[in-house]
Amino acid sequence: MSDMPSGKPLVTDTNSSILDRAATAAAHATPEPLAKKVRGLSDRMVAWIFIAPTILLLLAINIFPLIWAIQLSFTNYRANRPNADIKNIGLQNYSRILGDADTWIAMQATAHFVFWTIALQTLIGFTLAYLIDRKFRGHAFWTTVILVPMMLSPAVVGNFWRFLYQPQIGLFTYIISFFTGIPPTEIEMLSNVSLAPWSIIIVDTWMWTPYVMLICLAGLRSIPDYIYEAAEVDRASPWRQFWSITLPMALPFIMLAVLFRGIENFKMFDMVNLLTGGGPGSTTEVASITLKREAFEKWRTGYSSAFAIILFVAVFGLANIYVKVLNKVKNR
Amino acid sequence: MADVFLNGVSKAFDDHQAVANLDLKIADGEFVVLLGPTGAGKTTTLRLVAGLEKPDSGSIEIGGHDATRLEPAERDVAFVFQQYSLYPHLSVYENLAFPLRSPARRMPDDQIRRRVEEVARMVRIHHKLDNRSTKLSGGEMQRVAIGRALVRKPAIYLMDEPLSSLDAKLRAELRLELKRIQAELGSTVLYVTHDQIEAMTMADRIGILADGLLVQIGSPRAIYMEPANLHVAARLGQPAINLIPVGLLPDAAVPTGTKTIGARTEHLTIEKSANGHGDGTIDWVEHLGDQNHLHLTVKDRKLITLTDTDTPFRKGDAVTVRYRAPLFFDGAGNRISG
Repeated sequence: MSDMPSGKPLVTDTNSSILDRAATAAAHATPEPLAKKVRGLSDRMVAWIFIAPTILLLLAINIFPLIWAIQLSFTNYRANRPNADIKNIGLQNYSRILGDADTWIAMQATAHFVFWTIALQTLIGFTLAYLIDRKFRGHAFWTTVILVPMMLSPAVVGNFWRFLYQPQIGLFTYIISFFTGIPPTEIEMLSNVSLAPWSIIIVDTWMWTPYVMLICLAGLRSIPDYIYEAAEVDRASPWRQFWSITLPMALPFIMLAVLFRGIENFKMFDMVNLLTGGGPGSTTEVASITLKREAFEKWRTGYSSAFAIILFVAVFGLANIYVKVLNKVKNR
Repeated sequence: MADVFLNGVSKAFDDHQAVANLDLKIADGEFVVLLGPTGAGKTTTLRLVAGLEKPDSGSIEIGGHDATRLEPAERDVAFVFQQYSLYPHLSVYENLAFPLRSPARRMPDDQIRRRVEEVARMVRIHHKLDNRSTKLSGGEMQRVAIGRALVRKPAIYLMDEPLSSLDAKLRAELRLELKRIQAELGSTVLYVTHDQIEAMTMADRIGILADGLLVQIGSPRAIYMEPANLHVAARLGQPAINLIPVGLLPDAAVPTGTKTIGARTEHLTIEKSANGHGDGTIDWVEHLGDQNHLHLTVKDRKLITLTDTDTPFRKGDAVTVRYRAPLFFDGAGNRISG
């Protein structure tokens, strides 16, 4: 038996035939009589007409900028000097970025942020899911309550956490000082060099743990009761049931949550920008903040394009490797 | 192996009485089949013995110990579920070894290996021990599930329609194997099914359940020959027993109080009527290969019975129909011994 979805990889290799296949699929979905009424047009043509607007929009706002950015990444173009000569400088941007120590500091900050948010969110999220899955009285109510942070806008979250972190009036600071006895004015979550990275990790975890919980909950709910009953009759202790049934069977879901959060946090921008803006100094300057500074403060458009491409390739490459592993785990 | 007693066990879910005041004694080494339609309380009975449900009242005794309030793990039972309840991420070997690896047993590895291989051979899955359990066919999965019950030597094997999700050929095959294994090991089995052929062929005793009540229990032959009431009579027999109101056919010696006459295929003599005026007419002859079903109309009643493969009957023939020692039932549906 297996109720788990199997076989299909999550991300198929992107190539031109995807559009074609979509058109064919749409053509198959078109009811026969309707297709026949449009005289002179084949089913495939009709399908193309229906999906063309979406494809055009996608090309205009996604594909075109991407190609343009790739092109710009080989130049010294600056968007604040549109009339200056654009010189093609080859791979210079790339070699300068990869050779710059600041790049690697930003990457380290990003890695630190990604690692700890994922670790905390997975641990807390899975634990919450495991507890909620017990179906106690009012579990639906608590699920909703837990999901609230996820439904808020990051801008709102960033702003009110700034108040919570405020050394004089912040509730968070007050609670920490209440339990530790440290005077609240000394708890400068956002401007202390060693606390600032953690302040962002805490907010992101607060906001996105529910999301991880939801995916883990789906995983736990997909395990049929009779597997546990069989294990119970087979004299497996709750501990053994957890390690040999719950965890392995929920693992693909946990890994999926990690993937989503990983991609999302690799390009984390809004929350960091709102809370610390990359400071103090550059302690919370994750890659996307560096990118924004290069692009819209220093106006080095060509350079920042190259930086964006490097980030894109890194995320895409890592995600692809990860998906391969995930599929292997799923198909065990 | 051990005796299992259920004494006045009742279990209700919300306002639905699943099992009502059930008394059942299963002797050591006995193969008891519970037969009944969906919702009759068969599975609930099984789950009560396993400890997956706790009874509202009554007691359950396994091997001389009161097990009414014990957890499933403390009961020394093995359960085969209707679904292939394998651990999907484990190999066949690990699935079979799972119950033996319980810390309560502390069985050494080489002993586990010996036992698993022995059982794997018994259920004929030893050539696939290293396969992932999800990569097996339905029949193989159910063999593993049965094997996982067999690796232990519990007081009783509980089987919940283990063959129902298999195709007909495989079901017939595994049915024989299961019976062979049970006879070989002398195991005590409580088996639930709604398939009368499984019940008839495997059981030492059949218990007929209806609406949570044990209507009758006895040997397959007794259940078939001497059903307690109409319900039991209708459960067994293929084609199903014909229930005919008194007076439809020329009755022989009918006991007083009889309202319905139950006629199985062997309880009817059918002959072509000589003068063209019979008791009924043939509607059609259904050819099934190894046997033929004969559909006929007597006045406004439809009867179904068997006829030889080289039947002389044709559609439209007028026939005389006579009873040959049928079953008699009173107005309440209880059988009157004739």
